[in-house]
Amino acid sequence: MAHKHNILTVALLAVMAMVVTPVLAQEKTPNDPRLFTPGKLTVSTSEPSYPPWVLDNNPEAGEGFEAALVYALAAELGFKKEDVVWVDVTFDGAIAPGPKPYDFSIQQISVTPERAKVATFSDVYYQSDKAVIALPNSTVAAAKSFADLKAARWGVAVGTTDFDYVTHVLGIDNAAVYDDQAGVFQALQGGQIDATVAALPTALYATCCQVPEAKITAILPKDPKDEGLGLLFAYENPIVPWINEGLAKLKEKGVIDELAKKYLIADPSIPEITQ
Amino acid sequence: MTRRPGKGRRQIALKDRLTPVLISLVSVVVVFGAIAYFVGSAEQWPRIQNQFFSFEAMLEAAPGVAGGFLVSLQIWLISLVCIGIWALVLAIFRAMSGPWFAPLRVFAIVYVDLFRGLPALLLVLLFGFGIPALNLPGLPKEGLFWGGVALILSYSAYATEVYRSGIEAVHEGQGMAAKALGLTQWQTLRYAILPQALRNVVPAMLNLVVALQKDVALLSVLGVRDAVREAQIYTARTFNYSSLVVAAILFLLATIPLARLTDHLQRRDRARRLQGAR
Repeated sequence: MAHKHNILTVALLAVMAMVVTPVLAQEKTPNDPRLFTPGKLTVSTSEPSYPPWVLDNNPEAGEGFEAALVYALAAELGFKKEDVVWVDVTFDGAIAPGPKPYDFSIQQISVTPERAKVATFSDVYYQSDKAVIALPNSTVAAAKSFADLKAARWGVAVGTTDFDYVTHVLGIDNAAVYDDQAGVFQALQGGQIDATVAALPTALYATCCQVPEAKITAILPKDPKDEGLGLLFAYENPIVPWINEGLAKLKEKGVIDELAKKYLIADPSIPEITQ
Repeated sequence: MTRRPGKGRRQIALKDRLTPVLISLVSVVVVFGAIAYFVGSAEQWPRIQNQFFSFEAMLEAAPGVAGGFLVSLQIWLISLVCIGIWALVLAIFRAMSGPWFAPLRVFAIVYVDLFRGLPALLLVLLFGFGIPALNLPGLPKEGLFWGGVALILSYSAYATEVYRSGIEAVHEGQGMAAKALGLTQWQTLRYAILPQALRNVVPAMLNLVVALQKDVALLSVLGVRDAVREAQIYTARTFNYSSLVVAAILFLLATIPLARLTDHLQRRDRARRLQGAR
């Protein structure tokens, strides 16, 4: 009975608040007028999207680290599950200037100071190690130092911070650059390159399922310039602080750590190369 | 005796000659000024300008993009030579008459149908990823090599048809005259038909030459770092598109003078052949 009473009180208060401050009360609620579609949280991701970030290329199912994170965030901000709308936008579309047909994009986009000058990111939601992926019989498999890694032929996908890593951290200036991760793995299988780097979760999935013959041969240190993954918004989107509050709450409650444990498990027995 | 035009030019008053020039200048300024004003009035223009036409970003991106452009140029020139030769061979196959040459004719027809009907990108992917994956001993594995082969095979099909149209445009009387003089089929082609045919196809070939330069960018799917790819790399790092503008400028710098040069050569050649007759 008391429970019902509470609900009534809350409802009454809500109605009063709506009458008193019609617009301000709308801010930071699912009906925030600054949303792309007030009442909905519109999120873009790539098509196709890859495990372990999104399972089965179906973000609506909420399975996979990023898909689950979006639903957890939506719930934290007060949206119902059915109020989350997904749109397909490639990385190129997400980084283009101008207004966007969604609230934010989530597709493992790394936050870097250079990018933050012209685009608006949320706080970082995940930081991952970089992993070396190579065929077991390649020279890279037995590498002990950066100098050993330099002797190999490298390939990376365009639009990733993997390229910057290979070029600036490992000091390799002739890495082949492919359209996407799929092209990199094609070249790896065809023997056109010896090795690639990728975020550890991506690498784990690739070596279990996409290119089973390849192995993670080493973990590399983080690139100091690469702050981690962030949500990408249209430039100076006013809802960013609100979304960041939601992310902070999820971190506080340990939700993000749980999701990482569930979807992004690392294999602890991989050697590290640090210099 | 034909009347040469332009004789009366000198009698036209200065004012009458300047008026059209002035009108064209004014209209150009007005039209492009209006467009510039319209674009510049957009609320987002300062940001777009900063992300597409930032001079600092262009300077920063220039070395990488220029390096990629050199790669593009190398692929382009080597492919051009191979296409020019291979397509000519195919066109000659098609031009051979007589029952003994039927297999060559059939081969050329099938080849053109096949490679003209397939998108160049598809061929690049099939050759560049497919052949190295076969792991055949003794064959190169480089994406650059197989992508180049795919481009050459694809473009040769188009070039073959251009050559053929040139060959067929030479009047039949030429071939008959050569035969009457006792020239063999090969000599007829070599001395009578081809020299005239090749002259006729220059403008159409130039189209292919320019198109090929743009399609070299397709090889980037195989990991080749050409001008476009280098520009994309810069864009991915900084979210700034000025590097693409740098690549665009380099492409134009390469193709526009080429177009003007061939126009000039054509005019000179026509003047020489027609010796003033119009």
